[in-house]
Amino acid sequence: MTIRLLPESVAARIAAGEVVERPASVVKELVENSLDAGATRIDVATRGGGRDLIQVRDNGMGIPPAELELAFRRHATSKLETAADLEHILTLGFRGEALASIASVSRVTCTTRHTDAEVGLRLRLEGGEIVARTPVGHPPGTELLIEDLFYNVPARRKFLRSERTERHHTDAFLTRYAIAYPHIAFTVMHDDTEILRTTGAGATREALIQVYGMDLGSHLLEIPPELTQEQSVQVRGFVGPTSAHRADRGYITIFINGRWVQDLRLTYAIIQAYHTLLPVKRFPIAFVSVVLPPEEVDVNVHPAKTEVRFRDADAVFRAVQRATRMTVTDAAPVAAAWQVAVSAPPPVDAGETRARLAALTPTPIQISLPSTPATFPDEAPPLTATPQQPAPPTRPSASPATLPPLRVIGQASTMFIIAEGPDGLYLIDQHAAHERVLYEQMLAQWTQGGIPSQPLLEPQAVTLPLDEAAWLEEQLPRLATLGLEVEPFGPGVFLVRATPAALKTLALGDLLSDIACGAQDRTPLDIALEEAMIRRICKRIAVKAGQALSHEEMTQLIQHLERTQNPRTCPHGRPTILQISVEQLARQFGRLG
Amino acid sequence: MKLSCLQENLARGLGIVGRAVPSRTTMPILSNVLLATDRGQLKLATTNLELSVVHWVGARVETDGAVTVPARNFIDLVNSLPPDQVDLTLDEPSLALALACGSVKANFRGIAADEFPVVPAPEESNGFAVEAGDLRLGLGQVIFAASTDESHPVLTGVLAEFAEDTLTLAAADGFRLSMRRIPLIHPVPQPFSVIIPARALSEVLRIIGSQEEPVSISTTHQHNQILFQLKDTVLNSQLIDANFPDVRRIIPVSSTTRVVLGREEILQACKRAAIFARDAANIVTLSITPGEIVVSADSSESGQGSTRLAANVEGEALELEIAFNVRFLTDVFSALAMPQVSLELNAPTNPGLIKAIGDDAFVHVVMPMHLGRR
Repeated sequence: MTIRLLPESVAARIAAGEVVERPASVVKELVENSLDAGATRIDVATRGGGRDLIQVRDNGMGIPPAELELAFRRHATSKLETAADLEHILTLGFRGEALASIASVSRVTCTTRHTDAEVGLRLRLEGGEIVARTPVGHPPGTELLIEDLFYNVPARRKFLRSERTERHHTDAFLTRYAIAYPHIAFTVMHDDTEILRTTGAGATREALIQVYGMDLGSHLLEIPPELTQEQSVQVRGFVGPTSAHRADRGYITIFINGRWVQDLRLTYAIIQAYHTLLPVKRFPIAFVSVVLPPEEVDVNVHPAKTEVRFRDADAVFRAVQRATRMTVTDAAPVAAAWQVAVSAPPPVDAGETRARLAALTPTPIQISLPSTPATFPDEAPPLTATPQQPAPPTRPSASPATLPPLRVIGQASTMFIIAEGPDGLYLIDQHAAHERVLYEQMLAQWTQGGIPSQPLLEPQAVTLPLDEAAWLEEQLPRLATLGLEVEPFGPGVFLVRATPAALKTLALGDLLSDIACGAQDRTPLDIALEEAMIRRICKRIAVKAGQALSHEEMTQLIQHLERTQNPRTCPHGRPTILQISVEQLARQFGRLG
Repeated sequence: MKLSCLQENLARGLGIVGRAVPSRTTMPILSNVLLATDRGQLKLATTNLELSVVHWVGARVETDGAVTVPARNFIDLVNSLPPDQVDLTLDEPSLALALACGSVKANFRGIAADEFPVVPAPEESNGFAVEAGDLRLGLGQVIFAASTDESHPVLTGVLAEFAEDTLTLAAADGFRLSMRRIPLIHPVPQPFSVIIPARALSEVLRIIGSQEEPVSISTTHQHNQILFQLKDTVLNSQLIDANFPDVRRIIPVSSTTRVVLGREEILQACKRAAIFARDAANIVTLSITPGEIVVSADSSESGQGSTRLAANVEGEALELEIAFNVRFLTDVFSALAMPQVSLELNAPTNPGLIKAIGDDAFVHVVMPMHLGRR
C-alpha cells in the first residue's frame, strides 16, 4: 500500500464527521450562523427528522454575492481575521468549517441577499461541488436548504436514530436557543406542524412559558441581574423553585456568552446550590446564562463547541452557585398545599441582596454552608451593639426566606403541627422541621469548633457488617469531631465511648450503621462527608412522627425553625411546611367563585 | 351488685388506679375499670397488662357483684359529683351500672367482669417489708436516673437487689448512675435481684404519698412479677428479664479533687446556669479553685452567666475545670435532702461522684461532657 495525500473531497467528508454528527448539529451550525448574521427572525423547518430536509431561513445581513462560493470553502469565515482574534471570540462560529462540512455530506441550496445587494443569489451544491448559480429575487437574509443529509456517507446515515429521536435532539437545541435569545423570533416546524413560536419581544419569561409551558414557565425564578452586576462574571437566567424538580439533569441548561455548553462543573454548581432543598436524587430546573469577557473563556476546545474552558473556573463556579442559591433561598415560596397555583415569588429587595452579597464576597467559603452564622461575622445578630450606635437598617437575622410569624393551633395525627400565619394555615411536619433545626444547629457547632459530646458511663459495643466496619474504621477521627467517640474493638466491633450531646437514644448500632451505609452511597462529589454524617445523626435525634408534643414544645420548635436559614425543607430536601391560603380555604368552602 | 360509698373515697380510689389505664389499646376491656365487692368493700382495679393497680374503698355493700365500666367516663363523672353518697346498682342481665348521687343519675354500659385479666395475689411465702419513708426516699433518689429510651429496655428499669437486711436500688441511663440502699424490716433468707420498670415504681412513689405504714414487697416464685402492698392498695408489675450492667464497677473508688458545698446553693447556681445552657447543649462548666467553685454557662446565641460559690476544696488537685449536662446536676441535687453535698472528681474526662454528706447510703455517678473539638 502506498501512502498518499487524501483528495480534498475525502478529507472534507472525514472532517465533517466532527462537526456534523446528526441533523441537530446541522441546525445548530446554521442557526448560529443566522445569529452571527444579526438576524431577528429565524425560521427552522425539517422533514423526516431532518434527514430529508432542513430549512433555516433568517433575516440577517446575508452573504455578499462575491463571497458566496468562498463561504462553502473550508476554513473560510468572515468572523475571524488573525490568530489573535481567537483570544476574544464574540461570535458563535469562527472555525469556518460548518458550511463546508455540511455541504460535503448533503445537497445544499443556499439563497441569500446581502443587505447591500439588489438581487439575491442562489447556489446549489452537491457533495460540496457547485452545480448551479442563479440570481433570484429574495428578501434580505439567507435561506439554507439542506436535503438528503449524509446521502453520500451511508455509514453515518445508518447510524441516525429514529425520526423522533432526531427531532428531539433538534428541539432540545432550538428551545434552549429560543430562551437564550428572547429578542429573536423563532419558529420551528416539523413536517409542516408548528412546534414552537416565540415572538421575539425580548421577554425571556415569555419564551420560557412558550418552551416549558404556562405552569412551569411562569414559576421559574429569575436570577436578579443586580446580583452579579458589578462582577466580571455575570450570571443571568431562571432557576426552578424548590417545589419543581426533575429526575435527571436534563433540565439544567447553561449558556456561556450566548453559547449552549455542556459543562459538568457548572451543572454541578447548580445542583449544589439546591443542596438540601430538593428531595434526594431529584434535580433542579435551571436556565443559566453566564456572561464573561471573551478572553476569560476558550471555546476552541472541540469542533462542536459544546465544551469550553475557563481561565478561572473556580470563580465561574462560585458565581453560578452563589447566584442560584441566593435566588432560590430568597424567593422560595412555601410549598402550597393542594398544588393550587403558587403565588408569585415576592420581589427581591435589590439593596439588601447586594448588601448580603458584599458580605459574602470576601469570604472564600463554600456557599454550601450558608447556614453557619459564625462564618459571616457581619451578619451575626447585633448582640454587642452599643447603645449609641444607630440601629442596623435591616434586621440582619431576617432574610426574605424566613417564615412569617406563626401561631401554633395544635397537632394533628401526632405528626403535623397546625399553625396560623398572616395568610392562611400552615402545616408543619414535626420530624422534618426538627431535623432542619438540629441540622443547622449541629452544623454551626461543627463549623465553630466541634459538636459537644456526652461520654457514656460504660462504652457500648456495637457490631457492624464487615464492609461497613471497614469504611467506618477510616472515618473514626471524623466521627470524633461530630461528638461520636468510637474506637475499634476487634473485627467488625466498635466501642462507642461518647455520643453527640443532643443524641437522646442509646440505639448506637443503628446510628453507626446508618452513617456508614448512608455515607457510602452518597453521590460522588457531593457535600462534605461530615455534613452527610450530621444529617444522619439529626435524623436519629429529631422527634418522630407519632410523638405527642405539648403546646410549648411546638411553639419552641417553630421559633427555632423560624431562625434557620432554610426553614422550608428538611436536610433531605422534603418540605417541612405547607401552606393553605385563606383564599384556597374560602374557595373550598364555596365562599369564592 | 348494689352498694353505696362516699364520693371522696371513690374519687380518690379511682385517682389511684386510673393511671394504669392504657391510653391506647386494642383490647377494649383494658380501657375499663373493674368494680367488684370484696369482703364488704368496693374493689377497684385497672391494668395495662404490664402494671395493675388494685384499690379498696370503704363501702356499704348490700349485694355482691362485679362489672367493668369505661374508665375515662366513669372517672370523669365521679370527679364531677358533689361530695355526697354515691349509690351504685348493677343490672346483672344487661350489665348496666346505674349511679346515683344527689340529683345526678347516670348509667354505664359495662363489660362482664370475668373478661378482666386476673390480677395475681401476693404470695405470702417471700414477703419483705420496708418503711414507707425509706422507700419514698429511695425511689425519689433513684428513679429519675432511669432511661426513657426504649431501645435499651433494661435501662428503663430500676435494679432492686435484696440481700440480708438491705434493699439496694440503682438506675442508670447510660450517662449517670443513681444508687441508694434502704433497710429491710426483716432480712431476706436468699439474696436475689430483680429489675422493676421505672414507670411502675413512679406509680408506687405516687401512691405511697404520705403513707406511714410499712410497705410489703413480694415477688412471684419465678421472680417475673413484683407486688407492692400498700395501705388499701396493691400494685403489681411485670419485671424486666435482662441483665443489669455491673453498676458497682462504674463507681470511682478514688478522687483527686473533693468539693464540699451547700446543696441548695449549688442547685440554685445550676438552675441559673441552665437558663443559658439550654441554648448550648445543656453544658455547664464547674471551675474549681481553692476555696470556691464557679458554675457558669455560655451560649454564643443568648449570652452567659455564672455563680461563684464558697466551697471546701480538698485533695491532690485543687484546681479543675469540668463540664456537665446541667439537667443531670439539677436532677440529683433536687433529689437529695441533706444540706451539704460532696463532689468527688478526677480528670475532666473522668466520671464525677456525688454524695450527700452524712448519708453514705446514696451515691451518684455522672459522666462529664466534652466540649466539641476538631
